[in-house]
Amino acid sequence: MQKYRLAATAILLAMLAAFPFLEPEVYYLSFMFSVFMYVILASSWNFIGGYAGYLSFGHAAFFGIGAFATAKAASMLELSPLLTILASIPAGALAALVALIVGYPCLKIRGPYFSVVTICFAFVVELTVKNIEFLGGAEGIYLKFMDIPEKLSRSILYEVMLLLMIVTLGVAWWLGRSRLGAGLKAIRSDEEVAETMGIPTAKIKIQAFILSAFFPGIAGGLFAYYLTYIHADVVFNINISILIVLMAMFGGGGTWLGPIIGAVILTVVNEGLSTFAQAEIARIIYGALFIVVTIFMPNGIIDFFRKKGGG
Amino acid sequence: MLHVDNLTVCYGQMQALRGVSMEVSPGEMVALIGGNGAGKTTLLNTISGLVPPAAGTLSWEGRPLNSLSPDRICREGIVQVPEGRKLFPAMTVEENLIMGAYLPTVRKQRQESLRKVYDIFPRLADRRRQLAGSLSGGEQQMAALGRALMARPRLLMLDEPSLGLSPKAAVEIFATIRRLNKEGLSVLLVSQEVLETLAITVHGYVLENGVVAMKGPSAELREDPQVKMSYLGL
Repeated sequence: MQKYRLAATAILLAMLAAFPFLEPEVYYLSFMFSVFMYVILASSWNFIGGYAGYLSFGHAAFFGIGAFATAKAASMLELSPLLTILASIPAGALAALVALIVGYPCLKIRGPYFSVVTICFAFVVELTVKNIEFLGGAEGIYLKFMDIPEKLSRSILYEVMLLLMIVTLGVAWWLGRSRLGAGLKAIRSDEEVAETMGIPTAKIKIQAFILSAFFPGIAGGLFAYYLTYIHADVVFNINISILIVLMAMFGGGGTWLGPIIGAVILTVVNEGLSTFAQAEIARIIYGALFIVVTIFMPNGIIDFFRKKGGG
Repeated sequence: MLHVDNLTVCYGQMQALRGVSMEVSPGEMVALIGGNGAGKTTLLNTISGLVPPAAGTLSWEGRPLNSLSPDRICREGIVQVPEGRKLFPAMTVEENLIMGAYLPTVRKQRQESLRKVYDIFPRLADRRRQLAGSLSGGEQQMAALGRALMARPRLLMLDEPSLGLSPKAAVEIFATIRRLNKEGLSVLLVSQEVLETLAITVHGYVLENGVVAMKGPSAELREDPQVKMSYLGL
């Protein structure tokens, strides 16, 4: 069973990697690019939000920090395309560093209070970036795009984002089976008991938070390069933070597969709705969908079908 | 081994413990009895590091415990079995037990510890793959006790281990606790089953409104007219 699953995953990933070579329209490359991105965001969020039950509603901040750090580095140092892509890694590390600094005091706060603090944190970061002239201020930052045909450049970023997704999911897979993951699950279940069982809760919450900021930071850097123009309104948008939470919860928080399924489905639905309906209507349908899911599948789609399948 | 000296604990304005002193010697089983709201659980939670003391000292083998975090206190060998079991309901019995052996030092011996726990509670071995939330009350108490044993405690603190159990399950749990103590484990036992508790312990403390109202050998406490009237209904 394990072997088949592994083989199926490998085949699926190989197909995804081969997709750009079929010369698809740029639209499909862009679409898949955002699917990968949201899988990365939702799966990373899951480290702290799903496993430990600390619902961060400010994860766009890490995404945005990665985006701005990469964009600034690329425009200031006039980095080559390859170096711009690589620059997203230290940008992710910067996001992780911010997570360490912010997480230390914030992760002492539990439940809804933590969520509120993360929302405020995201606003503070956004306003700070907007008011720093060095970071483009209200104007944003322009990036020079690759000097090659659009389809080729899109294909390259597609492959890079796919690679990042595979790495993120690999880490998520490891986490789900690790001692760290077990400790986080214990925290979600009952933090006080976890503490008295000898689990260093403060330490492992920070570790999870750092990890959950690192990958979104890198993804933000790639996204910045992909857009070639970034503005605080775009990358720090609170809708992104909410969307990340929705995707993970919709699929099933605290599981490996849940955020993947949630991100894929909601990205497809989002795309479909914004193609066939007005943006406002799309948002209403989106909201309604989430209410239905929360009521009928509180533990996510995964749990719902697992129960049905298992009887 | 454990010394609590002049301990005061406050929740906001309310003083839950006022100048409590007590001790547990190596290998000893100590009873802590008292009515609802007397401060028994608060005392255990303070020893565990979950509640900060307002005044007084806690020491363990001569070293202060006051400023240690709960996970460090667990590392020192003081493990609490909380009131109401508090298992991780969405995990299996075995996952719960393994969680008890989280610390690196005891983690290395977890297979051996697991065998020992299954030896003590064969029923848990039968249910190892079952979700902890689906166990009966007695089995949950076994699992909670087993989980604490996985951490290889030197002082086990039990908070109302027989609460909500059938009389038969309660007798079994007390017998197990007694056996563990006979094998050398120090135990601090909080219970409302006053007669049973005083029968199996050596020393006892009676807490009333956050103050140690009485203390002494359990056998003497059992004969004390005050204890008889307040706690035994005699």
